[in-house]
Amino acid sequence: MRETVRGAQRATVHLLKSAGLSLASFLFSGILIFTAVATCLVIGAGVLPETVLLLRRIAGFKRRLVGEWAGEPIPEAYQPLTGELTVRVRAALKDPSTYRDLRWLGAHYAYGWALAYATLPLWIVGVMVDGVWCAALGNRPVVLPLIERLADLDAEWSRALLIPSPEARRNAELASRVQQLTDTRAGAVAAHGAELRRIERDLHDGTQARLVALSMRVGLARKSYEKNPDATEKLLEDAQNQAEEALTELRTVVRGIHPPILTDRGLVGAVRALAAGSALDVEVSEDGVEDAERAPAAAETAAYFVVAEALTNAAKHGGGDHAGVRLVRMGRSLWIRVEDNGCGGADESGGSGLLGVRRRIAALDGTVDVTSPVGGPTVIEVELPCVW
Amino acid sequence: MRVVIAEDNALLREGMVLLLTSAGHEVVAVADNGPQVLPTLLEHRPDAAVLDVRMPPGFRDEGLRAGLAARKEIPGLPVLVLSQYVEETYAAELLGGGASGVGYLLKDRVGRVDEFLDALERVASGGTALDPEVVGELLAQRRDDPLESLTPREHEVLRLMAEGRDNATIAATLVVSERAVSKHIGNVFAKLGLPPSDSGHRRVLAVLAYLNKGVES
Repeated sequence: MRETVRGAQRATVHLLKSAGLSLASFLFSGILIFTAVATCLVIGAGVLPETVLLLRRIAGFKRRLVGEWAGEPIPEAYQPLTGELTVRVRAALKDPSTYRDLRWLGAHYAYGWALAYATLPLWIVGVMVDGVWCAALGNRPVVLPLIERLADLDAEWSRALLIPSPEARRNAELASRVQQLTDTRAGAVAAHGAELRRIERDLHDGTQARLVALSMRVGLARKSYEKNPDATEKLLEDAQNQAEEALTELRTVVRGIHPPILTDRGLVGAVRALAAGSALDVEVSEDGVEDAERAPAAAETAAYFVVAEALTNAAKHGGGDHAGVRLVRMGRSLWIRVEDNGCGGADESGGSGLLGVRRRIAALDGTVDVTSPVGGPTVIEVELPCVW
Repeated sequence: MRVVIAEDNALLREGMVLLLTSAGHEVVAVADNGPQVLPTLLEHRPDAAVLDVRMPPGFRDEGLRAGLAARKEIPGLPVLVLSQYVEETYAAELLGGGASGVGYLLKDRVGRVDEFLDALERVASGGTALDPEVVGELLAQRRDDPLESLTPREHEVLRLMAEGRDNATIAATLVVSERAVSKHIGNVFAKLGLPPSDSGHRRVLAVLAYLNKGVES
């Protein structure tokens, strides 16, 4: 009996909140009418997206209420309202969820009140009938549980009205995917820009300066050629040194842009070369990467730098003596796993190359998963989407 | 000496031809693309071949592969491979199986004419020429080993030995007597636990095998 009363109480609170929401939606209908008129007059179309956002919040509140009551929240699927005003207005008007919410708002105005009102007589009758019936005769209560059924009914109707259509859900998924792609593309563009600036600086400050110095020395050597052969010899020696240093710097720049061994030997060959060059004993295994068509150059380069960074870290900080690299070709992605037998506890915030790895991979819409418990081992897993 | 050059860049090719002819060598043929290299080598059977690693049409490692293929056909054909960048893997492939008469140098080294000609002659006579940068990378990999126990001078000797220099050159480079060099070499071999070996090429292989377990496999 006590539980029945508690359940009825909970249901009543739920229905009263819904009634409150009905009242709020009554006030909101004023805003709706204003918005409709303003939008028809074009001038006031600016309030439309704001009103739709408010509508979404009201519907969102109801979704949460139902979630609290039924235990399972109603999913929502909206088009994002961002960008310029005209884009937002169009998105708000085109989103089928907007009309779904409006339909629910109208219906809920009626059933929100009605169900809340219905609890009042049920309480009065329930207390009398169930009180006497159960207390005196020991039977199960029959009227008070009906209040809970009312709340169930509210949840059912609301779910039916508010649940997004499959199309809206697909659209919302697409929209969030577009948003994610826009973000990562912006990241990629920024990373690319930073990379170009770095290359430009390296070439300008290093190689170019050296070539100028080299040219100057050759010029001086030509001038002193007849009068002072000893000085000429020295100048030419300097000039040759400058030329060699310029070449060394160029090689470093080129390696940073795209490691030449990748072009020569493909990803697996390049990773094997990394393994051979590592101070650790590195085992390389692959599945479907070596013999198949090659991954896009950007994916190969990123994968190569991930492995290079991971092996460098393992050798420098890990303290182990063995590492394993695995490259696997998946349906639409390249999967890389680097594991060492070191002491773990890799600190990503400590200015390690891991942050750079994350950025590089995020720019290609990939994912990085680092597990490095203290005591080891450190495992880095990367998945890079790519079309083969 | 009769030399074949394989290099796709016309500027470098002409420069190399000029350099070799002015040093008294005869350039019997040049190849400017990958597929051409092997037939040219087989046809002319030169005293030495200077090969660029990266050649058209694929711009990958055509030159290196052609050189290795030619050495299968003509065992011991001296091959000096030039590359824009050094890669230990390539050195390992060239020196694999105890090969002799091979060299692997950065293209930049061509600028040091005397050293380049010296390396080519060394390779032509069955010796080895390994770029200092490759040796440097190999040394960098083995830090925690008996290498630590070498004196700086012994370290230098080891480096020059790995590059394929003979005792006379090492002595000249370090400005010491040849006897002193022999003594240093003996010390290096003893400290690294390698069996003493006098022949130039076997010595290089022993040192390289020590530095990189992959080189001789």
